[in-house]
Amino acid sequence: METDLMALVGVWCAATLRSATPLIFVTLGESLGQRTGIINLGAEGEMLVGALAGFAVATQTDSASLGLLAGALAGGVLSLVHSALVLAARANQIASGLAVMIIGIGLTSYIGRAFVGKKVSSLDNLLPSGGEALAFFGPFLQQTTLAGPLAIAAAAFISWWINNTRSGLHWRSTGESAEVTLSNGINPIRIRFYAITVGGLLAGLGGAILSVDYTQTWAQEMTKGRGLIAVGLVIVAGWRPALVLPVCLFFGFTEAAVFKLQAMGITFSSHLLSTMPYVTVILVLIFAHLRARKSSQMPNDLKAVFQ
Amino acid sequence: MKAWISSVGAPTALTCAAFTLVTAVFFISIGQPAIKTIADMMVFAVGDSYSLSETLVKTIPIMMCALATAIPGRLGLISVGAEGQLHVGAIFGTAVMLVLPESFGLLGLCLVLVAAAIGGTLFGFIPGVLRVRLGINETITTLVMNYIGVLFVSALVYGPWRDPANQGWPATKSFPEDLILPFFFGTRVHAGLVIAIGIAVLLHLQFHRGTWSRQIKVLSGNRKVGETFGLNYAFTALLLMCLGGAVAGLAGIFEASAIQGRLQPGLSAGFGLTGFLVAWLSRHEPLMIVPVSFLVAGLISAGDALQLFAKIPAASSTILQGLLFATALAVPGLIKRYRGRYGN
Repeated sequence: METDLMALVGVWCAATLRSATPLIFVTLGESLGQRTGIINLGAEGEMLVGALAGFAVATQTDSASLGLLAGALAGGVLSLVHSALVLAARANQIASGLAVMIIGIGLTSYIGRAFVGKKVSSLDNLLPSGGEALAFFGPFLQQTTLAGPLAIAAAAFISWWINNTRSGLHWRSTGESAEVTLSNGINPIRIRFYAITVGGLLAGLGGAILSVDYTQTWAQEMTKGRGLIAVGLVIVAGWRPALVLPVCLFFGFTEAAVFKLQAMGITFSSHLLSTMPYVTVILVLIFAHLRARKSSQMPNDLKAVFQ
Repeated sequence: MKAWISSVGAPTALTCAAFTLVTAVFFISIGQPAIKTIADMMVFAVGDSYSLSETLVKTIPIMMCALATAIPGRLGLISVGAEGQLHVGAIFGTAVMLVLPESFGLLGLCLVLVAAAIGGTLFGFIPGVLRVRLGINETITTLVMNYIGVLFVSALVYGPWRDPANQGWPATKSFPEDLILPFFFGTRVHAGLVIAIGIAVLLHLQFHRGTWSRQIKVLSGNRKVGETFGLNYAFTALLLMCLGGAVAGLAGIFEASAIQGRLQPGLSAGFGLTGFLVAWLSRHEPLMIVPVSFLVAGLISAGDALQLFAKIPAASSTILQGLLFATALAVPGLIKRYRGRYGN
C-alpha cells in the first residue's frame, strides 16, 4: 500500500515537472532580462517561434534534441528584434515586446499551417521500463525526460552565476543603474543585448520543449500566454532565479491537476477549467504584492519602464 | 509649422516609407511580386464599394479598442486588455438579449448596450483596482485577463447558452432585429461607426480642454506633483481604466449583434491587440485614432482578400501589423539618434 502511495506521488511529481519545464526556461530567461533592466513581453512570440522551429526540425530529422536546439536558436533570432528596437532605437520596452509578440504570432500561424496534425517523438524517458522496486523513483523516472532535470540544473546554475560571479555582478548592477555601470567602464548596452539574447534562447528552448517534449503536437498559438505568464511570475519570484523554480513548479502542479481532472471526465466546463492558469497568476501576483507591499527587490532601472 | 514637420511630419513620412519597403521585402521573401501585391492590397482595401464597406466594418471594433487603450493611456497606463473587455462586454449584452422578452424596441437596444458597457467596465475595473491598491502592473494583468475573457465566452456558448436549434454549433440564439443597431445602405456597416467617431470627438474635447484634461496632464507628467495639488491619482486611474473597458465592451456587443448576429467563438479577430497598435501609432490622440484605425483595418481586410484571391494566408496581415509596429517604433528613435549625433 505504501509503495502504491509512493508511486502515485512519483507520477504526480513527474507530471508537475513536465508541465512546469517549458515555463521554467522562459521565466528564467525573462528574469535574467529584468535583472538587467529589460522587460520583454516578446517572450510569448519567442516561445512560439521556438515551439514551431523545434517541432519542424524534430519532425524532419526525427531527433528531438536537434529540435530543441533549433527552437532555442529561433527564439534567440526573434529576440534580436527586441534588442534592435529597445537598445538601438530606444523604443518603449513594453510596446517593442508586443511588436515582437505580434510578429511571432503572425509568423508561426503563417508557417505553422503545414505542421498541424503532424506527430513527433519526444526525448527518451530517463528510465525506459522496470524500476517498480524503486517505489517513488521508478514511476517518476519512467515519465520524466532529460528536459526536466535540465531545467532544475539551469535554475540552480543561473542563480549561482548571477549571485556569485563577477559577470553576474555586472548584470545585476546594469539593472540597478546603467549609468553607474557605465561609469565603471562596463557597457550596459552590451550586457542588456546579451541578456535579451539569452532570454530569447531560453524562451525558444522552453517553446520547443512544449511542442516537442510535452504536447508533441503543433497548434496555432499553442503557448496560450505562457510567455506573458512568465513575465508575471518573475515578479512573484522577486527577480530571484532560485525562486523561479518553486513558483513555476507550483504553476505546473495546478496545470497537471487541471489535466488530471479533465482526464477523469469531470462534468465541469473544460473552458472554465482552462482559465485556471490565468486566474492563478493573478492570484499569486496579488499574494506576492500583499506580502511585499513595496517591491524593494525590483531592479532600480526597471522601475522607470515598469511600475 | 517647421517644428511640426520635424517633430511629427518627417517621422510619420519616413515611417510610411520604411513600412512600404518592409512590406515589399516581406512579399518578395514569400515569393510574391511585391509591387503588384501591394497595389492589389490597396484595391482590396478601398478599391470598390464592397471592399470599402468591409474595411469600414473592421474599422469599428479596431477604433473602439484603440480608444479603449488610449483612455487609460492618457495617464500613462499601458492597458492591453481591450480583447478581454470586448468579450465580457459581448457576454453582458447577450445576457440581456437572452432574458428580454420579444420585441422590446429601442429601450431593449439601450439596455443591451448599457449592459455591454458595464461588462467591459468590470474587466477594466479589476486590473485598475489591482494597480491603484496594490501597485500590480496593469499591462500583465490586462494581457492575462484577455485569455480569461475569451474562455468565458467559450464556456457559455459551449455550455448553458448554446441554442439547441443550432444543431450542435456552439452559439446562442440570434439577436432579434430590434436589438441590433441600424445598418447603412444595405451594407454590413452599422451605426457603431457613428458611435465610435462620436466617442473619439468627445474624448478629444475632454482631453484637450477643461479642468479634467489639465488634471490628467499633470498626473501623467508627475504623479507626486499632482497629488500635492490635491489631485487623486488612484481615482483618476481607476476611472480611466473603467471608461476604457466600457468602450471596448461596446465594441464586443457590436460585433456579436450586428456582425455575427449571435454570440459565438471567434468573436474578435485580434481586434484588441490591433487596437493597441493603432492607439500607439496615434500617440493616444483620439482624433488621430479615427483615420489610423481605418488604414489598419484596410490592411487587415486586404489580407483577408489576398487569402481568397492570391492564396496568401491571412496570417500575413498579422505579420504586417507586427512589422508596422516595429517600424513605427524604430524610425522615430533612429531619427532622434541621428540628429543627436550630427547636430540638428
